[in-house]
Amino acid sequence: MVLDDDQVLIKKILEGKKSSFEELMKKYNKKIFGFIFRMVRDEEIAIELTQDFFIKIFKILAKYNFEYKFSTWAYRICYNLVIDYVRKNQAYIDSLDDDSVSQKQMLKSENYVAEDGFDKLAKEELKEYIWEVVDTIPVKYRELILLRYLQGLKYDEIASITELPVGTVKNRIFKAKEILKTEIENDGMFK
Amino acid sequence: MMECLNNEKIQEYINGELTTVENAMVRDHLIICKKCRFEYEYYERLEKYLEDPVYIKPPEVIERNVLKALFPRIPALSSVLALIAASFTLIITWIYIYFDFANNSIIQALQITSSKTSNFIASVIKIISTIFSAVYAIFKIINAFIDAVFKVNIGVEIIGLLTFMMFISFFYLISRIIFKKIKGANA
Repeated sequence: MVLDDDQVLIKKILEGKKSSFEELMKKYNKKIFGFIFRMVRDEEIAIELTQDFFIKIFKILAKYNFEYKFSTWAYRICYNLVIDYVRKNQAYIDSLDDDSVSQKQMLKSENYVAEDGFDKLAKEELKEYIWEVVDTIPVKYRELILLRYLQGLKYDEIASITELPVGTVKNRIFKAKEILKTEIENDGMFK
Repeated sequence: MMECLNNEKIQEYINGELTTVENAMVRDHLIICKKCRFEYEYYERLEKYLEDPVYIKPPEVIERNVLKALFPRIPALSSVLALIAASFTLIITWIYIYFDFANNSIIQALQITSSKTSNFIASVIKIISTIFSAVYAIFKIINAFIDAVFKVNIGVEIIGLLTFMMFISFFYLISRIIFKKIKGANA
C-alpha cells in the first residue's frame, strides 16, 4: 500500500516521533483554525476548539484507517466538534451573527463605499469583503462553503464529512452562492 | 432559442459539471443572451474570489498549548542526577561540618582502626578528612572575616550551608546548559 505524505507522518507519530506530530499540526493548523473561527466567530473559542481538535486527533490516531484520506477523517472530527459546539450554543452564535452583520455594514460604510461599485475596490479588499459576507450567511450554508472553498474539498468528501447526500450538498452550495450574490447586490457591489 | 439559464445551470457550467452537449448549449446561449451572460459573469467573479480564500493566521498559542498538554516536560535526566549528587554532597558535608568530624574522636578512631586492617580504606578516609578539614578551615576564615568587617558572627554552619546551596545551584545550571547543548547537537 502506497502511503501519501500525511499517512507517512501518521506512521511516524504512531512510532512515537513527536516532531512528526508538530509537522502535521503546522500543516493543518491554518485550515482548521480558519474553519473553526469562521464557524464560531469568536477567537478565544476558536483557539480552544482548535486545541481540543489536535489533542483529540492525537489521542485517537491509532484508530485511523489508512485506507482513507487523513484529511477527510480529520475534517469530519473537526466538523463534529464545531457542530456540537454550535448546537449547544446556538443562541450565542446567533447573537454573533447580528454583530457581524452590523460589523460588515460598518466596514462597508468606512472602507468599501465606491461610486462605481467593485471596480474601484482593490482586489484584496474585495476578497476580504466577500469572505466577510460568507461569515454572515446561515450556518447550514456557511459550513458547506467553508468545507468546499476554505478546505478545498470535493462534493463527495463534504457529503461524507457532513453525512448529507451529495445532491443536498450540491444544492446547498448553489443556494449559498445565491444568498451571497443577493447580499453582495444589496451592498451595491459587483455592479 | 434555448430558454434562459437558471442559477444552478450557470454554476454547473462554471464548475465544469455539465455534459459535453449541455456545455455547448449553455455556451451558445451565453453568446446570444445578455441577461444570462450578466448572471454568468457575476457567478464567475464570485467563484474566483471564493476559490482564493482569506485565511486567518492561527495564534501561536495553539501549537504551544497542544504540545504542552500532550507532551508535558519532564526534567532532563542529567539535571535530576546533578540535583541528587549535589544534595547528597550537601547532606554529607553538612553533617561533617555540624559535628566537626575533622576533630571528632570517632573519625580519628576510625582512621586508626582502618589503618590496621586496610591501607586503602584508611587512605580514602584520610583524603576525605583532609578535604573537609580544608573546606572547614575556609569557612572558618570567611566567618572570621565577616565577623571582623561587619561585626556579625554568622557561624561556620550557616556559611557552609549558604556556600553549598550556591554550589548546588551552580552545578544544576551548568548541567542543564551542557545537556541542552548536547540535545541541540543531536536534534
